[in-house]
Amino acid sequence: MTQYSPLRIFFKTVVARAYPRVIATWRQVAWIFFDMAFPIVGSLAMVLVYQGLHAPRQYLGFVVMGGAMLAFWQNVLWSMATQFSWDRGNGTLELYTIAPTTFEAVLLGMAVGSMITTTIRAGVILVAGSLLFGISYASGGALAAIGVFLLTLAALYCLGMLLASLFLFYGREAWHLATALQEPVNFLSGLYFPVRALGSYVAGGASLVPMTLGLDAMRQLLLPGTPVFIPVGLETTIVAIQVPLYAVLAGVALRFLETRARSEGKLVTRWE
Amino acid sequence: MGVAIARGWQGYWAAVRLGWAISSNWTRPLLFIVYSVLRPISMALILAVMYAVITHNSAAARPYLAFLIIGTAFWSFIQEGVSEFATGILEDRGRYHVLKYTYLAPLDFPIFLVGRATSKLASASASVVIVLVVGTFALGLPINALAIDYPLLVVACLLAFVAIMAFSVTLSMVLLAGRDSHGYGEIMAQFLYLFSGAIFPISLLPGPLAWLAALSPLGYWLELCRRAILHGRVYEMFPQLSDGEVLGRLVLAVAGTLVLGYFTYLISDRMARRRGYIDMESNW
Amino acid sequence: MAGTSPSSNSSRPAVETRQLGRVYKSRKDVVVALQGVDLSVNQGELFGVLGPNGAGKTTLIKILVTLLLPSSGQAWVDGLDVVTDYRALRHRISMVSGGENAGYGLLRVREQLWLFSQLYGMSSSAARSRIDELLERLGLAEVANRKITGLSSGMRQKMSLVRGLMTDPRVIFLDEPTVALDVGAARDVRTEVRRWMREDPTRTVILTTHYMQEADELCDRVAIVNRGEVIAHGTPQALKQQVDEDVIVDLQLEPGRPLLDALRAVEGVGAASAREEDGIDRFSLLLADDAVLPRVLSTVEGSGRRVTGLIRRQPTLEDAFVKLVGRSLHEEDSAENGA
Repeated sequence: MTQYSPLRIFFKTVVARAYPRVIATWRQVAWIFFDMAFPIVGSLAMVLVYQGLHAPRQYLGFVVMGGAMLAFWQNVLWSMATQFSWDRGNGTLELYTIAPTTFEAVLLGMAVGSMITTTIRAGVILVAGSLLFGISYASGGALAAIGVFLLTLAALYCLGMLLASLFLFYGREAWHLATALQEPVNFLSGLYFPVRALGSYVAGGASLVPMTLGLDAMRQLLLPGTPVFIPVGLETTIVAIQVPLYAVLAGVALRFLETRARSEGKLVTRWE
Repeated sequence: MGVAIARGWQGYWAAVRLGWAISSNWTRPLLFIVYSVLRPISMALILAVMYAVITHNSAAARPYLAFLIIGTAFWSFIQEGVSEFATGILEDRGRYHVLKYTYLAPLDFPIFLVGRATSKLASASASVVIVLVVGTFALGLPINALAIDYPLLVVACLLAFVAIMAFSVTLSMVLLAGRDSHGYGEIMAQFLYLFSGAIFPISLLPGPLAWLAALSPLGYWLELCRRAILHGRVYEMFPQLSDGEVLGRLVLAVAGTLVLGYFTYLISDRMARRRGYIDMESNW
Repeated sequence: MAGTSPSSNSSRPAVETRQLGRVYKSRKDVVVALQGVDLSVNQGELFGVLGPNGAGKTTLIKILVTLLLPSSGQAWVDGLDVVTDYRALRHRISMVSGGENAGYGLLRVREQLWLFSQLYGMSSSAARSRIDELLERLGLAEVANRKITGLSSGMRQKMSLVRGLMTDPRVIFLDEPTVALDVGAARDVRTEVRRWMREDPTRTVILTTHYMQEADELCDRVAIVNRGEVIAHGTPQALKQQVDEDVIVDLQLEPGRPLLDALRAVEGVGAASAREEDGIDRFSLLLADDAVLPRVLSTVEGSGRRVTGLIRRQPTLEDAFVKLVGRSLHEEDSAENGA
């Protein structure tokens, strides 16, 4: 028996846990369809609503960008936040717990794998939607938008890591919690309209979800004329602060989870 | 004959009660809030804000807001009746492994499925009412409960329920063929969203899709619901048709759905038995 | 990256517990799952923990594998305290549970095992060669590239055993590893466990089971746990010696009215248990001596039931259990399930 360093185990765990996420893309064609069809069809419906309202063309761009971000939010909810609950249900979480690795490494692996696959899907949604509805973007803001996008992604998946540990306390109800967050967050984060329309207080509260400010900043950068909620610089700064904030909170929640699990004996063990 | 009907009714009623016991969320506050309040209201609010952003709440556009909100309210029947129902059946197979026992039970399997679907539709009624109440009091829709044309509303809904159940029962049978098909109920509900005229007139769809949507009973059903609730004060998808004509088209479309559903069900059922889909291990 | 090997002190017990206890508290009630457990398992031993469902076996294992904190007492595995040194301990142990369903159905067998090997920091090449070797030994080489969802329950359980063994733990905990397996698969699991132990005489296995025959055949020593307490421990032979002086009789009767309590009341009957098999009631009786048998038969006759068979046989662990607990494992399971 050889005992390896924690750092080596950490990185090996990240790669190993990301592996099924990436490989699943090719093994479960049904899920690709599911992950892409849902935002595409949803976006198409919302585009047609705007057309019914005779909205300016720019609004169709809001919808397409929102549809692409929806792919990430869905992924964070269904493949990050609820994942520990599924893992617990089939006994996998027990095995993660008694291994010399950490929950952080497991979650980071999940996040990395998810980001890779979902970025491809979101990219397809963005390109397909833009071509279908003839949307053009301001190329000058592209680089900055990519930077904001990467920050938003990091913050969003750190939030996913936090939710994963919190959802675990609800056991079998995690599925319902994800449903509870899905539509309300779709609404509050302004996936289909400029978030300024919600007013300062509601939009400010909704900014707890990194997607809200990240999406608004990207819209401001790529779709000139977007009603400004707060300036791009400030939005980006807040999202940048959310990255370590949610990462630290996730770490605290995971420590709390592990302590509670060991003292109660139920949180990480499989359902019987 | 009489015995067979009595047995069928008994089985149907047992399935309704079973479905209600499994999926009813009245007694669990979290589930009630999630499925009957949060989700449908959020959907309605997204549309209300989109409407407000573009129209700035102008009086001239109010009938279109009513169109959106009533469509979204009644959409809950399809969300529950198609998406949640299909998920429930696949969950019975993949997660709880009980579908095979239901299939083997003496009651007819289609009757069991129809019973389960009925309970889903019943549990959706709460969210329909909640969204209409929010629409009336928070968004100012001119809905007067005493002025609703209830006979028209009930007839339209009953006909639509027949079509929804035929569709969802057939869909769940078809989905049994896949190991990973548990998200497809929701996808199908999303596709129906496009073809139903729930949140935009079907005339906005590109040519062939608009033609396809015109064959679906959902658009006629929602049109009749809107007319029954708000009479002339709502945007109409088929202004050239009278209530009777819309009803006639609804009847025809429901009949078509039933025939199509019946044959698809037979084929799917035969395939399920031949290939062992009923108790197949799935990636739930 | 260089790894470090923990020194192995052969005189140190592989597992040691002192007055170990665990209480589950909920709003409604308090359940004492384990109390006052004192055990010492030597390195290189295959140690069995026997007991009915709900006896506390799984709670004991959960404490020893660091999944659960004890409410009282102390426990050490490979010299490390399970409460304070749990991070270091996790490098040295593994666990395999019966009916395990862990992992990801989309992965192939080899991929799934590789994933778990990485949680221990193994190099991919070493992991792959170890995995292939173990798959070959357990007869799973042909399904190495098959998806997990396509495995039978026996194959799946063997794969779990490979997972448990591949990281070369100092102590492995096998929690009912053969439950619900067919005879062949259960034999393969037992054979591999023995072979794995032979490879390194300091490797230790803690096996929980309620298959008496399995414990008798496999274990160097056994602890019998009932209602949270260790009521006896020793080698299977030593435990069986507790009933060595008894006369053990299996009595087969045609079905009829209940008789167990009446037989237990017969003077000289030390313990009695009953089970129904193929429509025949089988009673196992521990008699003080041969002179008790006529009294037993007269009680049976008095009840109006007909004897279809009578066998005198050698003692088994099951008999020792019945003598210690007063009831059979089967009866204890039924009582637990009924409770």
